[in-house]
Amino acid sequence: MRVLAAILLATSALAGCSRELGRQQVAEFIDQADAAARKRFAPEICDLRGKNFTMQLVFYAQDANVPSEMEITRKLYCQQAGSFSRLRQYRLERKSIDIDIATDRKSATVTAEYVETMPFYDPWRAPVTPDDFNHFQVVESRDVSVVGIEDGDLKFLSTETESHQSLVSKKEVKIPYD
Amino acid sequence: MKAFAGPAMLLVLVGGYLVHRSLSKEDAPSRAFVELELAAEDEDHSGTCYSLSTVLIANGVFGNALRTWKTPDERNEDKWTLVLEAVQQGPNGPVREYRNFTFEKFGEQVRLVDVEASEEYPTDIEENIDKLLEAPHARKSTPVDRCRKDGGTGYQFPKKK
Repeated sequence: MRVLAAILLATSALAGCSRELGRQQVAEFIDQADAAARKRFAPEICDLRGKNFTMQLVFYAQDANVPSEMEITRKLYCQQAGSFSRLRQYRLERKSIDIDIATDRKSATVTAEYVETMPFYDPWRAPVTPDDFNHFQVVESRDVSVVGIEDGDLKFLSTETESHQSLVSKKEVKIPYD
Repeated sequence: MKAFAGPAMLLVLVGGYLVHRSLSKEDAPSRAFVELELAAEDEDHSGTCYSLSTVLIANGVFGNALRTWKTPDERNEDKWTLVLEAVQQGPNGPVREYRNFTFEKFGEQVRLVDVEASEEYPTDIEENIDKLLEAPHARKSTPVDRCRKDGGTGYQFPKKK
């Protein structure tokens, strides 16, 4: 029985152990997340989000008078990540990053600016092929994310994003298929 | 002591698996709940002749929408909310559309007792029942036993010719 007790104790100690966050660790985590986004591989994108992850998005579409706003849970976010994989052309550039470690070193707030370029499919028309679009959309975003340790791994706990969209002619942008 | 090490490790693994399963299991109503006949929103709460599961399946459980079952009250297994949500591309950018249907058991029936939805969708219960029934009627889905017999009647249920 002592063996059982020791195993249980060790298991609970491992589960409860906490790690402190460092700037380098968070920076590497964001690099990993950006790489997953570039691959558009939903399981990896999803795996980096915590159980109670939420995303708040304020989106300024080109020529729209008012922004669209929404808050989505991890589950819906992951479903969207799945549809992301259908894109054959995608470019993600990070323009800046600022990491602010909390005083207890259990979480960090990451503010990052991105530019994404991808095909813009008309919402009222189903594309026949991946190439069936006239414009690329260039989306400039400012993400404010809280990251923290969950079940021993670093995860995004929440993200607030403000995005501004502009449309450019398909001829003006060259993004290779992948 | 060594004799106990193997069984002890097995116990920890099995225990861990069971804890993981119980924590990661998604909530959903029992089969008995979804097999109940859906009631209409008329004065008598007439039966519709279709079980809740038949209605949901006939509706393709609402296409590509993300589906989540929730219990508004964890102690009450007779009341469940089906949350359907999706992100759609609107004229001003992506928007979250949602519908929350709350069903509650009353005797041998299940009633739609509440509908919450984003502005694109109706929230009137009678209107929602009518819309829910369009698919099983169109597909001639299998009715509950009560209505399979000759003379079995139900709300909007087409009579046998």
